[in-house]
Amino acid sequence: MASDPILPAREPGAAGSPGEDAGLLQELLEGWRNLTGLGAFTLITLATARLRFRENSRVVTPRIFGEIHRCGVRLLPLVGFLGVVLGLVFVGQTASLMEQIGAGNFTGTLMVTVFLREMVPMTAALVVLARVGTAAVIDLGTARALGEVEALEALGIDPIHYLVVPRVAGFAISVVSLSLYLLVVGLASGYAFAYARGLKASPIEFLTQVAGALHGLDFPLSALKTGIFGTLIGLVICYQGLARPLSLADVGAATTRTVAVCGVGCLLIDAAFIAVYLLL
Amino acid sequence: MRETDSAVVLETRGLEVATPAGVGGLRLGPVDWRVSSGELWVVAGPHGAGKTALLETLAGLIPAASGSVRVFGHPVQGSGDDETTLREARRRMGLVFDGNGRLLSALSVGENILLPWCYHRNAGPAEALTELEPLIRHLQLGSLLARNPASLGRSWSRRVALARCLALGPGLLLLDNPLAGLDAVHLRWWRGFLAEARAGHPILGGRPLAIVATTDAARPYLGLDPRFALADGGRWRILPGIDSVLSATGEDGTRNSG
Repeated sequence: MASDPILPAREPGAAGSPGEDAGLLQELLEGWRNLTGLGAFTLITLATARLRFRENSRVVTPRIFGEIHRCGVRLLPLVGFLGVVLGLVFVGQTASLMEQIGAGNFTGTLMVTVFLREMVPMTAALVVLARVGTAAVIDLGTARALGEVEALEALGIDPIHYLVVPRVAGFAISVVSLSLYLLVVGLASGYAFAYARGLKASPIEFLTQVAGALHGLDFPLSALKTGIFGTLIGLVICYQGLARPLSLADVGAATTRTVAVCGVGCLLIDAAFIAVYLLL
Repeated sequence: MRETDSAVVLETRGLEVATPAGVGGLRLGPVDWRVSSGELWVVAGPHGAGKTALLETLAGLIPAASGSVRVFGHPVQGSGDDETTLREARRRMGLVFDGNGRLLSALSVGENILLPWCYHRNAGPAEALTELEPLIRHLQLGSLLARNPASLGRSWSRRVALARCLALGPGLLLLDNPLAGLDAVHLRWWRGFLAEARAGHPILGGRPLAIVATTDAARPYLGLDPRFALADGGRWRILPGIDSVLSATGEDGTRNSG
């Protein structure tokens, strides 16, 4: 095989060499700096939201509604379609199969444990991240790179109050609302599919089964989990897009980082909630 | 005469401006300077001398290496500056950035102009438009309000950025290279605006504004009776007259470029 004239040949056994160890250490340090930076940014955002809750409401409140429209209302068709697909793929097939093997009594428990607690929140969060979040990082990163954030500051406008708080609130409210919508559409389409496959339970009996498997804290915990997912996505987007000096060339990398951090963050939060559910 | 009659709007003491690494990373200063209302100061100097960094330091956007800045008595840099005083100072000064004025690309031209007024007065756009309509008309921007900032040329973008600053009725105007690259029509308009703003125009509340403008070339300011300062090689100098400025900027042909 001809060797690459530009890239130097890799020495055998070079992995783990001091140079690579230093690179790994540097990446770990960078990761730690990102984590602490995100923590500080979160605290600043929460403090701003609390202290300036009523200030400039005629400018900030319409921006929150605008974000809800962008992250929530405009995603209704896509999330509705996903709800139908998930309903057919998971809810309908599972309900039908459970009936066939004579385990119809456990359908409700399965729906609550897998569909309501896990699939719905994660799907809603990932859809919002993929469809709106990535575009938002590019918007914010470009604005930052072009110096628009400094222009806001020069006008005495707090960028956290004007740009970050509405986005985080919009993402949180949207993910919670879209989860509820996805749940309703998924259960409805799943029941329709299972009924077509010969499920004997009426819609009321099916819903009663699901409701019977619900714990009293299921809805509050689901709302909390999806709210945290939305808040995390909003914060990471704003942190990666706004909080650090960027050039236009850095915007792509910031977008990739956002997707990775949000994905891992949502999985970790989900794991923490599984531990809580196990205690119920 | 001018200085003793008027209130001091901007005051710097021992100010050292840290310029970004991209333009050499040198320090400009020490800047000991007083700007009074009704004065037009032109800060001349070559590209990379730290003129933009000086304006951003005066506006509190980048930290000073040392020294203090006070705007209308509010500390912007140095001891005593905090978020509240900084915000108060920024409401009383306007900064028009170089180039296209850094308009917010997500908003229309009209929204860009109305935003600061709406934000600081907690008002809706209709109310702001009624209030700012005379200013918009005076700056000849009425037909551009629905446009996207990206669709404007640099000259008009800069004028929109000026309108956005003037919306809050500032007493101090910081202009970063405002006359660079303008055609003859826009240049004439800006010169007229500078003259009437420092004198106190009814559209600006009748109060004389203090204006600080940076420039690479001093010649476009001839006839406006400005005061000159020079930023060059990290040094800050108040220049006595136009001849020394033209000599320092090479506009008299005695200094080689580069």
